[in-house]
Amino acid sequence: MQTTMNSPVAPSLTDGERRPTFVLVASVLFALVLAGAGLYLSGLIAGLDNATQFGNLGRPVQEFFRFAVLAPGAVALVSAVLMAMRRPIGRYLTMAVMFITFVMSIAALLQVVGVFFLFEGVVDAIMASPWIALMLPAAYVVFWFAGRFEEGSLVQRVLTQGSLIAAVASVVLLILSGKMLESANRMLDQFGRDQGRVTGAAVLIAVIVLTGILTWRLIKIGEYFGENHIQRSAWQGWLMLSPNAIGFMLFFAGPLLLSLYLSFTNSSVGRTPEVIGFENYANILSLEFHWRDSVEATRQSLLSVGYAPLVSLFIGGRELVIGAKDVLFWRSMFNTFLFCLMLLPLAIIPAIFLALILNSKLPGVKFYRAVYFLPSVASVVGVALIWRWLYDPLIGFFNYFITQIVGFFNGLLGLGLADPQIRWLTEPSVVLFAVVLLAAWQVVGFNTVLFLAGLQGIPVEMYEAAGIDGANRAQRFRFVTLPLLAPTTFFVVITTAISGLQVFNEPYSLFPYRPIPIEATTAVYYLYDRGFPRAEFGYSSALAWILFVIIFLITLVQFRMSRSNAYE
Amino acid sequence: MKRFTIVGLLVVFVLLAVLPAVAQEPVELRWRTRPDNQPEIDVYQSASDQIDAAWDGVALKYEPGGSESASYQDVLVTELEAGTAPDVFWIPGTDVARFAEAGLILNLADVAAADENFSAEDFYAGPMYFLQTAIEEGTPTLWGLPRDLSAFAVYYNADLFDAAGLDYPVDGWTWADFEEAAAEITALGDDTLGFGMNAWWANWGYFVNAAGSSFFNEDYTACGLNNAATVEGLDFAKSLFDNGYAIPWGNDAEPPFLAGKLGMFLNGRWATPGTIANATFNWNVATLPIGPSGEPTNWAFWGAYVVNANTAHPEEAWDLVTRLTSAEIQGQIAALGANIPSRATEDAVALFLGTLPDSGVNNQVFIDGAAAGVAEAPLFYGNWPAIDAAYGNGVTAIFNGSLSAQEFADTICEQVAGEFE
Repeated sequence: MQTTMNSPVAPSLTDGERRPTFVLVASVLFALVLAGAGLYLSGLIAGLDNATQFGNLGRPVQEFFRFAVLAPGAVALVSAVLMAMRRPIGRYLTMAVMFITFVMSIAALLQVVGVFFLFEGVVDAIMASPWIALMLPAAYVVFWFAGRFEEGSLVQRVLTQGSLIAAVASVVLLILSGKMLESANRMLDQFGRDQGRVTGAAVLIAVIVLTGILTWRLIKIGEYFGENHIQRSAWQGWLMLSPNAIGFMLFFAGPLLLSLYLSFTNSSVGRTPEVIGFENYANILSLEFHWRDSVEATRQSLLSVGYAPLVSLFIGGRELVIGAKDVLFWRSMFNTFLFCLMLLPLAIIPAIFLALILNSKLPGVKFYRAVYFLPSVASVVGVALIWRWLYDPLIGFFNYFITQIVGFFNGLLGLGLADPQIRWLTEPSVVLFAVVLLAAWQVVGFNTVLFLAGLQGIPVEMYEAAGIDGANRAQRFRFVTLPLLAPTTFFVVITTAISGLQVFNEPYSLFPYRPIPIEATTAVYYLYDRGFPRAEFGYSSALAWILFVIIFLITLVQFRMSRSNAYE
Repeated sequence: MKRFTIVGLLVVFVLLAVLPAVAQEPVELRWRTRPDNQPEIDVYQSASDQIDAAWDGVALKYEPGGSESASYQDVLVTELEAGTAPDVFWIPGTDVARFAEAGLILNLADVAAADENFSAEDFYAGPMYFLQTAIEEGTPTLWGLPRDLSAFAVYYNADLFDAAGLDYPVDGWTWADFEEAAAEITALGDDTLGFGMNAWWANWGYFVNAAGSSFFNEDYTACGLNNAATVEGLDFAKSLFDNGYAIPWGNDAEPPFLAGKLGMFLNGRWATPGTIANATFNWNVATLPIGPSGEPTNWAFWGAYVVNANTAHPEEAWDLVTRLTSAEIQGQIAALGANIPSRATEDAVALFLGTLPDSGVNNQVFIDGAAAGVAEAPLFYGNWPAIDAAYGNGVTAIFNGSLSAQEFADTICEQVAGEFE
């Protein structure tokens, strides 16, 4: 069959070739059904009561969703028309519509049947029988260990087969342990009792089968539409990308857009959001500046109603009072930047030196690599509990250690040093540093692994050449290691800075009582505080977007700086 | 032919599936309350199972709520916003007004009025006052029923009292006695301190109340801390830190107390099981010392079972609330030692006094405390989380020395005025 690459319509058929009538007709009809379904759903969404049936999210969100289901419906309609005209673009559109419907229907079916509840069963089963669950990783370790023996040897066969049997046995035992079966049974029982869900599942299965068959058949008739291999590669690429793109739209872009919308509303729990324009942003960012020329005037009295003193600056012998509507926001931003400034050196410099040590051929290096990485994977909540004890001024290890050191030097040198007895979690000048120490301890291991990868990417020849040129160890580190590690350092600085700007878990977990000290209130903790305990979703969304812009700008600046200082 | 067979089979499948079911299913109710530990989860689950077994036509599902990374309240607020919250749930007393005003919980006055077995008099008056506070004046109101009650006591290390040659605290002891005990125990040395309390509102609030002040004005419509009694109470509390008698404000006082390093620890009934399990010294509880007001002072902490405004089964939900707050169920939960029944009836009090019989804990102290306690108040006319934050930050500044109690009293009411409606 001869076709041209850009043929606007499917070519006429030669004698003996079959026209794929059924696929064409069925695709057009089903695309029309989908268009109708989009229209119907759009109408249905428009008719829902926002407060009781649409999550009380406000009319704009409802309209957006209405459009969101109408748009694919319109695409389906266009694809049906173009398909009926036998245009190649009609086939691509129809394929896309069918495939997306296929994927979405599978996701909807899993939800309708309640399959996700099975995950609870898996967790319950593991929690109920941890020893059985541990058999699985143990079996893997044995399997890995078996690979170290001679291929085909008796020991290897015994270990391999034994580990496989143990792995299968652990899975079977977990399933039989009751919790998973119970969970599956409960899922099916609940599903079976809900006629609406059964009906929905049946319809979805029908849609999945139909769209699956039609997508498959549409793929197969590419030749009829004059498709060449370049075009085939193109749509296959889009096809591969589509699950991720759909997931991104649904679970990332969607909530992001919703949060942007909420930031312009007065959304709170149980309340229909009303659009209030930039009021949230204005309240967060508003500042006032006044000179205080008389000491008798209180700082508060200089400010307008709704403002509170934020900070005083002394310029040329005069006091400039800066007031803010949301003092805590500015304090939390200041704390966050201070946190980052302290975190970066504490999380990066030790990581470089640890990486240098771990990059050597010392015995047991692999063990230590794992050990240093452990804090990064440990739960912050659990870790914070331990650190709270370490920080305890009365019975904590840190103060005990400092007391011993002070005592040692006083005894040895008669210095008469005073034991500082630091109140780690209460002294205003120390609390943020206490949070930084915990965060740095957690992130150093991760950074070490990154630096280790960077170090292993430096060609040995560079060190050899430096050695021939007479460079000593320090010079090799200064003039070879550091410059060649620059891309890794840049990445580590960026990721550490971003994680520092987003710090939340550490202050949240380290201070059990609310409100936490002002000095430890970071930007993300503050937005959480406004968002959940105070349920001011609109305000906290605005805080989140401001924080996003700040992080974005900082990252941009770092990128620019890195580009201009890049070591080529 | 084959393709038409497939389509035909699909049509038959769909038709079979959409045939209506006829079975009559029981009403399914989900309920949730915040437990503090696994034994409490077990006892709530057991209570749920008992009620379920004795109740035809209703199937109950108990959910502990919360997770390692999200608190009970955060999860609940999220689910309420998403429309997936349970039919009946527990909330702290301070949240009742906020939830009621947002229309998240049902006014149960009508169903309660139709329930001949229900009497509001059976419960402690403090929580019931707030649970019957109307948003619209003149409307009969009942937002829920209190799950339980708690009150503070002074947990004291009897061994340290013995070592310091002190008598154990008795009813009617005063701030002077208390301060003397704190000083004497601190003087024992070896990292021992006289007193500790945790850094949240009720702790410093006790000193303010005992001095004769109050968080709010009489009708809870404005701040009530702008007076000399506030200054006196906070100055006394601050002196405990300044003199080195107390563990620094902001530090968890429980570990040092359990380690035997603290003479007295202000804490609620909820700490009793943990102290029984972990303290390796002789200890007991005493009433809170009487301050300058001359009256016994305490807090009545409480939380309530409320009904989701979106429940499909309001009558059954009310029925569940009454079953969960029956003397029998409250007795089972109080037997763990962490709570006081919210029923003030003789049988409920007797059940509580009989709890933890082998521990020697003076249960009467908590009953007296609850009776004398100021019920923690849900603010129908103010934003409690914001006010709590402002109060708390101010008090922390006082205890850290960056603000005087007088400055605090002079400015705090003006500072929070905008948070009252």
